[in-house]
Amino acid sequence: MIELQGLTKTYGDKTVVSDISLRVERGEFSVLIGPSGCGKSTTLRMINRLIPLTSGRILLGDEDVTRLPAEQLRRRIGYAIQSIGLFPHWTVADNIAVVPNLLKWPSARIASRVDELLDLFHLDAGEFRDKYPHQLSGGQAQRVGVARALAADPEVLLMDEPFGAVDPLTREVLQNEMRRVHEQTGTTVIFVTHDMDEALKLASRIALLDAGRLVQYDRPIELLTAPAEAFVSDFIGKADLGLKLLSRRWVHQYQQAATTSGDAPHHWETDAQGHPTCLHGGRPTADVPPRVAVTDDWTATPGMTMKEALSRMVWYRVGVLPVIDDAGRLIGEVTLEGVMGRQP
Amino acid sequence: MNHDEHDGPRRIANRVLATLLVASLAGAVLLPFAAMAPNRLVSGESVSLLTALRPWQTLGLAALAGTLALACLVRPLGERRGARLTLVAAPLALLLTLYGLGDYAQRALTDASPAARVSQGAAFWVLVFCTSLMIVDAFQRLGSSLWLRSGYGLLLVAAVAALFATGTFNALSILREYFNIEDAFVDQFVTHLTLVGLALAPTLAIGLPLGLLAHRRPATRGVLFSVLNVFQTIPSIALFALLVAPLSALGDAVPWLGALGVAGIGAAPAILALILYSLLPIVRNTQAGFAGVDPATREAARGMGMTRRQILWRVEVPLALPVILSGLRIVTVQAIGLTVVAALIGAGGLGAFIFQGLGQYAIDLVLLGAVPTIALAVIADFLMQILVAVSRPAGAR
Repeated sequence: MIELQGLTKTYGDKTVVSDISLRVERGEFSVLIGPSGCGKSTTLRMINRLIPLTSGRILLGDEDVTRLPAEQLRRRIGYAIQSIGLFPHWTVADNIAVVPNLLKWPSARIASRVDELLDLFHLDAGEFRDKYPHQLSGGQAQRVGVARALAADPEVLLMDEPFGAVDPLTREVLQNEMRRVHEQTGTTVIFVTHDMDEALKLASRIALLDAGRLVQYDRPIELLTAPAEAFVSDFIGKADLGLKLLSRRWVHQYQQAATTSGDAPHHWETDAQGHPTCLHGGRPTADVPPRVAVTDDWTATPGMTMKEALSRMVWYRVGVLPVIDDAGRLIGEVTLEGVMGRQP
Repeated sequence: MNHDEHDGPRRIANRVLATLLVASLAGAVLLPFAAMAPNRLVSGESVSLLTALRPWQTLGLAALAGTLALACLVRPLGERRGARLTLVAAPLALLLTLYGLGDYAQRALTDASPAARVSQGAAFWVLVFCTSLMIVDAFQRLGSSLWLRSGYGLLLVAAVAALFATGTFNALSILREYFNIEDAFVDQFVTHLTLVGLALAPTLAIGLPLGLLAHRRPATRGVLFSVLNVFQTIPSIALFALLVAPLSALGDAVPWLGALGVAGIGAAPAILALILYSLLPIVRNTQAGFAGVDPATREAARGMGMTRRQILWRVEVPLALPVILSGLRIVTVQAIGLTVVAALIGAGGLGAFIFQGLGQYAIDLVLLGAVPTIALAVIADFLMQILVAVSRPAGAR
C-alpha cells in the first residue's frame, strides 16, 4: 500500500504539482494520466524522490518514508522508464541483479531470482542470462527493464511511460505481458501514460491530472460514466466513448446460450468435438448467403474484450459471434442485440 | 563520374601499393644506397644499390618487387589476396634491405682503414619507409584485428632485433657511434622515459578530476577549456623558455624545493611544461567519455538506489574508460615527442643526442636520438591501443 498526502512541487513561483493526495491499495494497478505538462511524471518521480518534494508526505505501508534517505527508499521501490536504461556493460543477469546486489543478497538467492524473473517474462533463462543489452530487441529490453525493477520484490513498482518508445504491435504484446505479470505477482503498480486506451486496458484505478491538480481518481468505468468535470470526458474523448466503454467489458459478461437446434432464427452447426463449423441464418441483409462457415478469426473467447468482439462482428458483417473455450468447443454466443440491450 | 570509363578496364587493384612500389624502385635505382667515407670528417662517396648488394640479394629484392607488382593487380589476385601476399613479401623486402646494408658495411670495411665509415643512404631510407607503409596499407585493407596486427608487429620487431643481436649492423657508422656512447645512451633513454612518466602521473591526477568536474558542472567548461587551450597554443620551446625565470626564482626562494630539484633548467620546467601540454587532451577526453554515457543509464542507476559514488565507479567509469584511455594514448605519444625538446633546457633524454648531433653535424648522433624516439612512440601507441581495446566493456564492444 502506498499513500501520497498533499504532494506539492514548485519551481520558484511556478507550481508544477499541486496538493496531490491519493492512496493505492496493495496489489492495485493505478495509472496516472493527463495532458502533457500536467505533472504526472513529476508526481511519479517525487515518490522515489528523484525529484525532491516541496511539501507533502509519502506513506509506504504504514511507514512515513518522507524523510527516509533517498537511496534506501529507492531500493524498496521498483523503477522502470521509457528509455529503459539497461547497463550496457553488464549482462541481462547482472542487470536484473543490481538491486539485490545493492541489498547484499546471497548470490544463490540472486541467481535463482534472476531465473525466476526471466521465466516470468517468458525469456528463456539459458539463452538470455548472458546476453548483453545491445543484443536484445526493443521488446526484450523493456521486459528485462521491468524484470530488473521487480528483482528485489519491491513494495511498489513505478513505471514512467515504459511502452511509449516501441512499435504498436510490440506495445500491445508488452501491455498484455504487464497485465499477466501483475496478476501473477500481485505487485502494487503506479503507471504513468498519456495513452487513454492503455490506461483503460491496464488500470484498476485511474488518476487524471490537469496542470498539477488531481481531477478524478476512480475506476475506469466511473471516469467513463460519471466524470467529475467536463475536462474528464473531454480528455477521454467523446468520439468513441461507447467503444472505450466496451473495452472495459468482457465477452463472458454478455455471453448467451448458443442454439444448435434447427428451429431458432439462427443456429449453429458443430462437429463431433463440439467445434462450431457454420452458422445458419443470423445475417441481417438478404444479399449474403444464409449459411456461413466459421473461420478461426470469426470467434470470441470469454476473456476477450467486447470492443474486440464488436470489431469482429463489424468486420465479418455478421451480428453474432460464437464463443469458444480453450479447446475450441462452442460454449455460447454474443450478439449485437445483446450488446445494445445491456446497460453499461 | 566513373573514372574507369575513361581509363579502360581496371588493372590495378591497389594504387597505394603500386605507387609505393614505383617509389621504391625509383629510389633504389636513382638514389645512393650507402655512403663510404675514409674518415669521419669527409663526406662519403655514394654507393648504388647494385654495387652494394651481393647478386643473390639484388635478385631477391627483384623477385620480391615482382611479387609486390603482382599483388597490386586486379588479376590474378585481387585486393584481399594481394594484401595478404604483401604481408609476406614486404617484410621480407624490408629485412633483406636491412641485412643487405649491414652485410655491405662489413664487406666494405674488411679491407679499409680503421677510420673508414659506412653509412646508410637515401635509397635505404626510401626502401625501409616504403616497405613499412606497404605493410600498414595491407593491414588497413584487410581490416585485421588489433591482436593480429600486434602479433605480426611483434614478429617483425623480433626479426629486426635478431639482426641487431647477430651483429649484422655493427660495421655501420651509426652502430659504432652507438657503441661509443652506449652508457650515455642507456642513461638518456631511461631519463627520457622517466620524464614522460613523471609528467603523465600528475597529469592524470589533476586532469581526471577536472574532466569529471567539467562534466558535472557545465558552467566550468568554458573557463577550463579556454585556459588549457592557451597552453596548447604556446609553442613548446617558448613554453620551456617562459618557465625558466619563474621556476628558478621559486627554486631560490624556497630552499627545500630547490633541494628537490626545482630550478630554472633541467627536469622541473620540462615536467611542468609537459603536464601543461598534456592536460587538455586528458580533461577533454575525460569529459567526453562521461558525456558519452547515456543519461537514461544514469537515471536508471539513480532510480534503483545507487549512491553517487556507486554510480560513478560501477556505471560511469567503466563506460567512459575507453574514451579516457584514448586521451591517455594521445598524450603519451605527444609527451614522448615533446620530451625531445626538453633536452634543450638541460633535462636530458634522447633529445640530447639530437641537438648534440645537430651541433656537430654528426648525423649518426641525430639518428641515435630520433629513431629510438620514433620507435618508442610507435610502441607506446600500439600498447595504448591494446589497453583501450581491453578496457571496452564486453557489452559495449
